[in-house]
Amino acid sequence: MTAAIISLSGAQALVTFTPEIFLGLVGFIILALGTFRIDKRIISWISFGALGISAILVFLLSPVGKSLFYGTFQYSDFGIYFAIVMLLSGMLISYPATRAIKSKSEVFYATLLFVSVGMIFAAFSYNIITLFVAFESVSIGTYVLASFGKSRRNLEGTIKYFFTGTIATAFILFGASFFFLQTGTFDLQVLKSAPPTPELLISLVFLIIGFGFKLAIFPMHQWALDAYDGTENSISAYLAAGSKVLAFLVILKIFLVGFSSDFRDVSYLFIILSILTMTYGNVAALSQNNLKRLLAYSSIAQAGYLILVLAVVGFVGNTNSAVVDVAVAAGMFYALVYVFMKGGAFITLNLVKKDNVMISDISGLAKKSPATAVSFAVMLLALAGVPITGGFFAKYLLFLSLIEGNLWWLAIIAILNSAISVFYYFRIILYMFGKDPISGEPFDMSTSARVPIYASALITVALSVVVIWWPSLISMANGLFG
Amino acid sequence: MFILILFIIMVLASLVSFAFTDRRREYALIATAIFLVATIVYSILRFSTGYGAGGFRSVSVYNLAPSIGIAFSIGVSGFADALLILSGIVIFIAAFIAGKHEFTQTMYSYIMITEVGLYGILISRDFLFFYIFWEVVLIPVYFMVAQYGGRNKDHVSLKFFVYTHIGSVFLLLAIFTVYAYHYDATGVFTFEIGALMQSKYIDMIPTALRYFAFFGFLFAFLVKMPSFPLHSWLPDTYETSPYPGTVILAGGLSLMGGYGLFGILMPIYSSLGTGVLQLLVALGIISLLYFSFTALIQKNLKRMMAFASAGAMGFVTLSFGAGLLEGTKYTASLELAGGMFQIVAHGLIMAMIFTALYFIKMSTGKETTYGLGGIYREVPMLSTFLLAGLLASLGLPGLAGFIGEFSILVGSFAAIGWLILLVILGMIVTASYHIWAAQRSLYGPYNENLGKIADVTPSRFAILMGTFAAIFILGIVPNLIYGILVSYVGGII
Repeated sequence: MTAAIISLSGAQALVTFTPEIFLGLVGFIILALGTFRIDKRIISWISFGALGISAILVFLLSPVGKSLFYGTFQYSDFGIYFAIVMLLSGMLISYPATRAIKSKSEVFYATLLFVSVGMIFAAFSYNIITLFVAFESVSIGTYVLASFGKSRRNLEGTIKYFFTGTIATAFILFGASFFFLQTGTFDLQVLKSAPPTPELLISLVFLIIGFGFKLAIFPMHQWALDAYDGTENSISAYLAAGSKVLAFLVILKIFLVGFSSDFRDVSYLFIILSILTMTYGNVAALSQNNLKRLLAYSSIAQAGYLILVLAVVGFVGNTNSAVVDVAVAAGMFYALVYVFMKGGAFITLNLVKKDNVMISDISGLAKKSPATAVSFAVMLLALAGVPITGGFFAKYLLFLSLIEGNLWWLAIIAILNSAISVFYYFRIILYMFGKDPISGEPFDMSTSARVPIYASALITVALSVVVIWWPSLISMANGLFG
Repeated sequence: MFILILFIIMVLASLVSFAFTDRRREYALIATAIFLVATIVYSILRFSTGYGAGGFRSVSVYNLAPSIGIAFSIGVSGFADALLILSGIVIFIAAFIAGKHEFTQTMYSYIMITEVGLYGILISRDFLFFYIFWEVVLIPVYFMVAQYGGRNKDHVSLKFFVYTHIGSVFLLLAIFTVYAYHYDATGVFTFEIGALMQSKYIDMIPTALRYFAFFGFLFAFLVKMPSFPLHSWLPDTYETSPYPGTVILAGGLSLMGGYGLFGILMPIYSSLGTGVLQLLVALGIISLLYFSFTALIQKNLKRMMAFASAGAMGFVTLSFGAGLLEGTKYTASLELAGGMFQIVAHGLIMAMIFTALYFIKMSTGKETTYGLGGIYREVPMLSTFLLAGLLASLGLPGLAGFIGEFSILVGSFAAIGWLILLVILGMIVTASYHIWAAQRSLYGPYNENLGKIADVTPSRFAILMGTFAAIFILGIVPNLIYGILVSYVGGII
């Protein structure tokens, strides 16, 4: 696999980086437009279009099977897939975010595009340092995004997010340096057969703490609750969807490619972490009355499902095995569906005019606007893993890979967890359909609130058809290992 | 092909129903009536002459993702066909009795989606779609309870959903187990039920995992029946659910459990092992006894009939276990066909009882034995129908309930010997509370507090009479479906 590296010349490299360059240029143009007091709607559509075009460019111009800079960037269908998924998450929030921004919309959208540049880099990078740089550029951008909004609560959430993020950065750097101590390189694919040494284990622990912060897995999750709760809904959607998919992708690369000689420890670590994360997220969500915190807990639980992929791959141990492909493909599909079901769920909260959304605030939505209530219900059903939504296939392909990897007991734990989660998702549905609306005009039914909800619900359902292309996802999955 | 087209029309019709802002009830009634008639016509055309061994009619397969074995594959066995008619009837009754003033328009869409789910389960020959429809049924029923239910509806509907959902996810794990080991054995990925459920592949699964798979299947099916230790969702849900929902729960959802046992698990009977079958026999007998004794002390007629329904399904579990224990004897096919007949008869009878109870509740506002009393004096027609339903439910000869229970009793004796006395005890208790309920609420001195109450209207008379006619005809000419069921058993064993 590494033998197939064909390095590209400088001119070809420039072509390869067209999507990133394009996004960066549009970002600067948007910044310049800000001086002309252009309407924020127009800016949002420009960035929507730019993200869409760059997704197409990524698809067309990435030289599959080739590499750049001595293997630092490697192009495969796997990377293209994740790059497009992350760009889609940016597109999802670009329109609804207009609601949150009162001034300086050009800064917001330019930052969104710069963040997306980092995401594309991360999708193709196979070197700890470039991964780290891409990852940091996204983090710093999202600190800026998170601070946009109307109230001081945003700032509190953002500060928490910023400080924990910075600490995580330190952990990542420590971990990366220990990795370098062991291997003498930052290249992820070098370590193939070396036995686990103390340096490697230390590096493993430090890196999982650092990246685990971003993915919000169990002991490192606390910031996520406050950050999601404190920021504007569309930005919470981006933090919970796009930024989380990025963290998942980076974790896949670092731990499955970088630590492929030490799969036993990776597997133990992630089995324990996934059980803790799922269970904690689901159990804690049960008693929440604050809708946004409930969704935050649910996204912690979802992160627990996502890292089951690493548990399976580590447990199987052989990266050429078919089970590994199934597991990685399940993770890929989950990430795609996750963007729309979770992002969509957060965006739905735009409907409620209040700042601090409690579950009871959404009661009677079905009477006021059946279509939005059904759309939200679809996303919640998808999160709970109920059939005819994409969420069902995503979750159950994941469980299928667990069973094929002989992790029966873990599948049972995961499935019991998924059954627990039904309680709180259905509680929301119950409030929407079973209760009478509270008096007054609690809901904001403007277009920018409703259309993104319909769109994400529609896509969530439509993605269940993508399962037909499941075999091609499996064939993409091996691209993870370069 | 016919059934596939019918099914697609059903899916579309249920979606279209959401477009109706007005007159959705009329639309639902016409649609479900057409589906019922179409199903009956289909059955007469395809099954009146019987069918070959282990055969399926209307088989068609549409490969969606061949490399991992996902296909939309349908086929109707004789047993599934009988249940198709039953669910058609039950859904029509539910749509019929769901009055315009009690429910909003959405109720009729829920009813139609439930029908799609039930038909989907019965015609799917692919485990993935089987599972999807298995879950699809839950959602509308959940909403019926959550939106229109009575006391404690939030709590009860959630309990219902989570309970049955846990059953479903274990079913999914079991399916995946069988699927993964089928791949190990043959190198072919497939979700095709006919291909996976073969003893030669099941026997290759390591013992612990094989029993795990059986556990998953049985857990899902017995929750739906419901059988003894897995029944705690039942009384609350039946009581809280609005009556059309109760009719669907009793007639439609318990059918799913029975279909799971006889339609899915029966082909691998030789792998199940005596232990599992004996466990099922024990669960069947315990269910019967436990539910009849519990029903004895109920004051609420709806709750009492919920237990009666569960008790009657105990016969089904018993017949499955005992019938397969007998192996190839003549009594085995008698017993198994009796069990399947019991599912159909039970669905019809419960639909009739709950319909009659609903009409009584609507005219009197009461559904407890003590709140009623002597209503025969005021509403002779309605009382007679309820009495007829109760008599059918306790197994009076000449009505459908008798046929199933009788053949199960005759068959079981060969397998379980004198334990049959326990079953008979259960039947006696069942009969006693049925009679007691009828005596206390229908006869005796009239409860003057109820004032003047109205008897059945012509349309209500028609629906009750129609259901009773079906029960009566099946009691007199059981061979209408009994023959198909026997040949279905013959095709497998």
